[in-house]
Amino acid sequence: MSTILVIAEHRRNELRPVTFELISAAQGLKKSADDKVLVAVIGSQAETFTTALSVSGVDEILTIAAPVSEFDPDVYEAAVSALIEAKNPSVALLPHSVDSLGYAATLASKAGYGFATDVFIVEYQGSDLVATRGGYNQKVNVEVDFPGKSVVVMTIRASVFKPLEGSGSPTVSNFDLPAVQSRSQNKDFVEQGGGNDIDITTVDFIMSIGRGIGEETNVEQFRELAETAGATLCCSRPIADAGWLPKSRQVGQSGKVVGSCKLYVALGISGSIQHMAGMKHVPTIVAVNTDPSASIFTIAKYGIVADIFDFEEELNSQLAA
Amino acid sequence: MRLANSATALVNLALKARDPYSATAVYSIAEGKQKHQLKELMFGKRRDALALARWEHTPASVLEALCSTSDDAIVVRLDKNQNTPTLAISKLYVAENQRSKCSTSLTVLVAQHRHASPSILKNIAQFESEEASVLALSKNLAANSEVLSILLGRFESSSILAALQKNISEHPSTSSQLLEQLYEKGDVYVKAAVIGHANCPLQLIDKALLEENVLIQRQLASDKRLSHEVISRLSLHQDKSVRCAVASNVIASRRVIKALVSDDSDMVRRAIASRLDLTAHVISRLMNDQDVWVRQKLARNPTVSFGVLDKLSKDLQADVRRGVARNSRCPIKLLHLLAKDEDYWVRAAVAYQHRTPKQLLEELAGDTAVDVLSGVANNPNTPQRLLKKLTFSVEADVRRGVILNPSATRFTLLPLLEDDYYLHRLMLVGNSKLKDKDKWHLCFDPDYQVRFTAFKYFAVHFIKSI
Repeated sequence: MSTILVIAEHRRNELRPVTFELISAAQGLKKSADDKVLVAVIGSQAETFTTALSVSGVDEILTIAAPVSEFDPDVYEAAVSALIEAKNPSVALLPHSVDSLGYAATLASKAGYGFATDVFIVEYQGSDLVATRGGYNQKVNVEVDFPGKSVVVMTIRASVFKPLEGSGSPTVSNFDLPAVQSRSQNKDFVEQGGGNDIDITTVDFIMSIGRGIGEETNVEQFRELAETAGATLCCSRPIADAGWLPKSRQVGQSGKVVGSCKLYVALGISGSIQHMAGMKHVPTIVAVNTDPSASIFTIAKYGIVADIFDFEEELNSQLAA
Repeated sequence: MRLANSATALVNLALKARDPYSATAVYSIAEGKQKHQLKELMFGKRRDALALARWEHTPASVLEALCSTSDDAIVVRLDKNQNTPTLAISKLYVAENQRSKCSTSLTVLVAQHRHASPSILKNIAQFESEEASVLALSKNLAANSEVLSILLGRFESSSILAALQKNISEHPSTSSQLLEQLYEKGDVYVKAAVIGHANCPLQLIDKALLEENVLIQRQLASDKRLSHEVISRLSLHQDKSVRCAVASNVIASRRVIKALVSDDSDMVRRAIASRLDLTAHVISRLMNDQDVWVRQKLARNPTVSFGVLDKLSKDLQADVRRGVARNSRCPIKLLHLLAKDEDYWVRAAVAYQHRTPKQLLEELAGDTAVDVLSGVANNPNTPQRLLKKLTFSVEADVRRGVILNPSATRFTLLPLLEDDYYLHRLMLVGNSKLKDKDKWHLCFDPDYQVRFTAFKYFAVHFIKSI
């Protein structure tokens, strides 16, 4: 019998959706019916998450009362380290997020565990655990195995594993946090980008506008189009710099990397290196531009050499039909 | 390091730096031995030559210098690079043909290159049979009417005819005569493209009026050459996309618009809300429209009165209030009101608004939302004292706002030359408020793109002085 440990992630008293994706990934790693998926939640109000975590695929929930309500790298490292020692899991799954970047590598390195980050496929090939991650800036897929490692720590990419549906009835117990001296202090919570705007790093369908829209008054028709199509409207830097869309909607080096996006429709975006840094990994990129030599076409799966306003009109008409 | 006082001194500096990117920036001003040395520096290592052949900022003169290579990988990159000049493309095409191994993919690259010469394109049109090359050529904006006509004639019974017709019907160089041919033989998409073409003759418009297809009717409804009677008829069309095209058409009469303002389709009413010739009756209907996009578009309409804007500034939907704040004629009184809006995106609209007075911008500078602060940093009315303060913001977006502000003075911008973000330093190279001596040290910046831009800036200076 082996145990797969999942570390739940929460922010501002809300569980992050990636937690449920990790539970799904853990479920896929069960080799026999005896194997257990154990979910640990750390924080000053850890017990408040137990109901939400009682989902299909979870066998046990461990709450770890901590002196901090939000993420603290030292507290998390100490807690997960103690958990691994006590529960001896074969695999510990953490979300690949800014939180885990703060402690996962140290945790694995100190104890000599196997380690892989930003994993999007994890499976057993025979008796070997194999993790797949991107390499060379996502140009190739790299398979990583962990010979001789009895414990492997992995950070899992968000929006890859489909959360399991249905509720479960796991056992719930407490786990004591070992003594830990935190070196950091949470002062304030600042939401990146604009207030309560959508987090574009979590959405899977994006329509993005660039200089090609010409004037600010044209932004609205693309907002309408995006809304009708069920997409999130984003933009390149010049659009956000001009105040035509919030900074929170800016894709690229100065903005955000749209990590979860599956379909990206680039409208009137030439494709500067800075913009492409935020979206070139997206599996399906559709580029619409009047300039056939625009750089964006070099990374697009589908290229449409056309006026974006004609495209908008046609698509709107078809969506409205 | 002292400011270079001549082209030779600048090139010497680039050579001394041993940096291929700085070398590419000054290549066009170098002569004789220096040019040779720069070539050595740029192309000495194959890896550098490959990178430069592909780089989107590599100057045409450098790409041309690379053309003498027989390295296939470099040739492919040169063919793909849209900065490769006409002469170099011609040389590559001829050289490839002489070697009798001009691959299909290379011909395609030449056929679609915007700098390919008319004679090369004509040559491809006359003798090339490979489908990919022919289709690429039919989309190339450098192709003239003669080239397009040759293509249409040669491939009249080919399997690629439909695609070819579509490309040529959308090509801006297609002549009226060719458009007539296309209309007669093309499918509905080709016909619609012909109707929308700037060179479409009037007799084809008349002919198209007899067509029943929605696509063609929609294309016609947006045409500014139609008679009032035809527009009136199309405004009653059963398809809403056709009526929407009428609602957007500037030649639609007030009578037609008055009728369409009660249209069931939101799409149609939204199109009306953006028109600049609205009557009081139509505005009053739109102001109370249930669709938020209609009210939002009306809020942005620069022709509506203060009373209308005043009412819309109190709309429950933040998007409508933002529309008022972004209206180019929004009264100052309403800007004061909207500057206190609970929604940060409405306040940001006030911060970006060019009518917002200094005092209000001072108040908005105390906001915590990055979009509002970026707006203040961008606004030409923001006092210099405040801009100087914003150059030290922890938010890169806000600091960039100051760089983009046309009113920012040299002394305000100076600290930003040391900005952590390379893009900001790069943007400042071209800033006319800064003096050359301020920018000089950017030639030795840690980032290669900044070094290239700075060297190029000074190189252009010397070209001008020559």
